[in-house]
Parts: sequence; structure tokens; C-alpha cells
Amino acid sequence: MGAISLKYKSKSGNLTAPGDVDPGAMIPIATVLVGVGGQSSITFSSIPSTYTHLQIRLFARSTAANVAGGVTLQFNGDTTGSNYYSHYIQADGSSVASGPNANASIHYDISGVNANASVFGAMIFDVLDYSNTNKNKTSRVLGGIDNNGGGRINLTSGLWSSTSAITSIALAPFSGNFAQHTHAALYGIKRAGA
Amino acid sequence: MAYTYSKIATYTVGSGGLANVSFLNIPQTYTDLVVKASIRTVASPAQVYADMTFLINGNTSSVYNWKTIRGTGSGTASQSTSNNASGYLTQLTGNGATANTFGSLDMYFPNYTSSTYKSFSADGVGENNATLAYAELAAELWAKTDPITSFSFNATGVFAQYSSFHLYGIKAEL
Amino acid sequence: MPLPSTMTPIATATLTSSASTVAFTSIPSTYTDLMLVLTGKYTGVDDSSPALRFNGDSSSNYSTTYLNGSAGSATSARESNGNTIYVGSMSGDQSTSIAHILNYSNATTYKTVLSRGGHTTYRVRAYVGVWRATPQTITRIDVYGNGVYNFDVGTTLTLYGIKAA
Repeated sequence: MGAISLKYKSKSGNLTAPGDVDPGAMIPIATVLVGVGGQSSITFSSIPSTYTHLQIRLFARSTAANVAGGVTLQFNGDTTGSNYYSHYIQADGSSVASGPNANASIHYDISGVNANASVFGAMIFDVLDYSNTNKNKTSRVLGGIDNNGGGRINLTSGLWSSTSAITSIALAPFSGNFAQHTHAALYGIKRAGA
Repeated sequence: MAYTYSKIATYTVGSGGLANVSFLNIPQTYTDLVVKASIRTVASPAQVYADMTFLINGNTSSVYNWKTIRGTGSGTASQSTSNNASGYLTQLTGNGATANTFGSLDMYFPNYTSSTYKSFSADGVGENNATLAYAELAAELWAKTDPITSFSFNATGVFAQYSSFHLYGIKAEL
Repeated sequence: MPLPSTMTPIATATLTSSASTVAFTSIPSTYTDLMLVLTGKYTGVDDSSPALRFNGDSSSNYSTTYLNGSAGSATSARESNGNTIYVGSMSGDQSTSIAHILNYSNATTYKTVLSRGGHTTYRVRAYVGVWRATPQTITRIDVYGNGVYNFDVGTTLTLYGIKAA
């Protein structure tokens, strides 16, 4: 190995307490950690309109009987299927597929009970201009799971046909519940001048 | 004050649309740049998806290269091309897609002030309330050693009103 | 020095001589996720992926599934029971790879890595990988080249911490 001199931070740089104001562009809004017994969904509510974009970073497992499965994303309590549409490009280790999910907001993948017990999926969701009332809301998601012989990597997109500002986001496994240790973190990203 | 993730500039397209959006005089004080954009284009004939070209530093030399993977909602493809006179992304939303719907794009430019060639990574989606919608991953290269001082984004047609472009700087200062 | 923030640089290296490996050590456990940005090239032309190893674990505890775009088609493949996780892609010209390690300090789960990147000579890829050692906090990341060529002078690696609410 070559000798490399790394420059390290001399301090940890972490926020000193929850709720500390981050003066930069990316601000943590809320975090959910699923406890014993799991839960059917994770909802971020009362999302302030003071940011420009939202990002959710999800580390999750479901109780579904699969190795890999989708996560539904719903906004503002809107459960009307026809208000949603989503698309995916998906690679499973041997082939690639692209397709639609009509009347649904499904993004891929998190692990299920058929995956190794300690394997969790990872997904990063981005929604730009989430409070813009002139736009429908588009989500863009990179996510996947690997199970040492199974799993999928995906780029998915979703459409919520509503120009309403997003004030809440509900995440749920397409089937089953979120398992213990699932972790979801919501961040706001500001625009210049804000 | 120096923040790790800083807002540099935002541009939102007004009434009537705009063919070009540029970020000029980009400060050289960050380590990486991030462009986030929520884009819809208006062109004739209308299309569900839309192309966007871009220039770095206004440079029109044949030094732009890219490789992409694309999903269309029904199929997949990969494109590879080199020595082009502009950069290119093609998963945005056009005026043939569902009304009021905009694509979502993220571009990451590391080490933009370095004296090496400039590579960057991008992913973008264009949504639509129908089967056809694009999603794309891209690896791109601007084969110039100059620091990046400007971006110029050009629509096929015009960028629709409410399209927004956001430039951020990331500073790896320890 | 920047103010404390959500996203914080932990360590950075810009190579002044070529190297086969770069190590990030003593990674603090105080963040939620890690993000590694790798930009640079090898000392020679080769079509391969940089790879990560955690906490010095060289056992066959790693696997990666990827989406690949090259030569006009989209394909997918997987490596199981490997001794590293692949991230991005690199060759003899400049490339960028970005890897996200979510919940890296969770001592009850395996670690999942999402990444994207590529170079315009050969390919663009998105990866998901898992490290299946006994669940533990990641305190060290070794970034490997392809074993044939080194990371070239000017290659830069930066590790960021991202802290949730």
C-alpha cells in the first residue's frame, strides 16, 4: 500500500444537540427508528415549507416474504392510487428491466424476511421543489439490496399528480411492515437566498 | 463563515420560458459542485422526454464525452459517445408529458477547480402519467484541465416557466 | 474550519504519488451515514471498479449487484462471496464514483452500500453491495484500485459524514 497522508478533521463536527440549527444548505428535519415489533409505516408530518428540496435516506427491512421488495411513497395523506404513477429501471444481477407502475408510487428495494436476517436495503429519495404549487411532485430514488446471491439495484421515479405543497410523506413497505432497526431520516435542502 | 454544503445560486424560469440558463462566475472556493434541477421543456413537436445540452465555461470544443444507461418505462438502452461539442442529458420532461410535471436531475462535479480533466456523475428522471418516462444514469467527462467557472444549460425548445436550477458548493475543508 | 453541519468532511486525500490503496481510519461513530467521493484515474488503462473493504475484513463477506451501461446495452451482474464491495468505475481517464453507506454505525445490521459512477471510456454503473461480517460499526475503510494499476497522482478521495436529526 502506498503511504498516503490523510487530512482529518480535528473535531467530530457533529451537531451538539437535536434541533441545533445547521446554517448550511442541508438541514436534518426528522428521524424515525423502528423499534421492537416493527411498524406498518413511517410518516413525516408537518413538514415545513421553508426548504426547497427534500431528501429521505432510508435503511430498511420489511416483514414481507421476499428477498427484495418495494416501498410506497404517499404525500399529504393522499391514498388515491390514480394520483400516482411510478417507473423503474431495475437490475437483478442477471438482467435489466424497465417498466411502469400505474396508479401507484412504488420505489425499490428494501429487504424482506427471505433475505439474510441482518441485511437491510438502502434508498435515497429526492423530491425537488416540494412546496412549489405550480408543479406536480416528482420523486427520484436510487435504492437496492444485495443478499449475496440475490438482490436488486434500481433507479426509480414517481409522480404525484398534485400541485399541493408537500406537508407530509408516508413510507410503507409494499407488503408487510417495516422491521425493527429500520431507520428513516428526512432532510431539507435550501435554495440560494433562503 | 464556511459551510460544508452551501447554496451558491438559484434560477427559476419566468413566464414565457427561456432557452438558456447559465451560472456564471462560479466561486472557486469550494471542492465540489452540485446542480439540482427541476426541469420541463417546451418544444414543437411536443415530446414526453426532453434533451438538454450544456456547456462548461462556454467551451464548444469537441471535448465532451458521456456514457449513459437509460430506462424508458418499457425498455432499456445504453449510449456511449465522445468528442462532442457540448454535454448532453436526456431524461428530462417535455411538454408532451403530463401537464405541470417536471423532471428531476442531480449532477455532481467533484474537484471542479483542479487541473485534471473534469468528470462528473448524474442521475435524472422525467415523469409522466403513462408508461413512457425516462430515467438515466450518466458518467460524463469534460476533457479540459481548466477549473469550472460557468455552466450553461440549453433546452431543446425552451425551459418552461417554473423550471428551476440550483447550484451548491461542497467544501471538503477540515 | 467550517461550522458544525449536517454534512461534514471527515478526511480527504489528494494523491501526490500513485497508490494502490487509500485508507480512512479512526472514522468517528457520531454520524448517521457516510458518503465517499472518489474522482481520479488509474495509472494505466483498465476497465475495472474501485472497491471498498471495511474494518480490515478481508474475508469473503462482501457481495455486489450492479446495473451496467456499456457498448450500447444495459446489463446486470453480481459478485457474491467477495472480499470487497465494488463502487463506481475507473480507468485511465478521469472518472467519478460516489458511494453512500447508510447507518454505518449501527452495530446490529450488516452494512449496505449504494453507489453510482463511471468513466466515459468503458462504462457507467450503479451498485448495491453488502458487507456481511458480524454487525459492527465501520471505523475503517480501505479503498482499493484494481490490483493492476494504482490510483494516479491527482486522484482525490473525500469521506463525508451526514448526520440526521
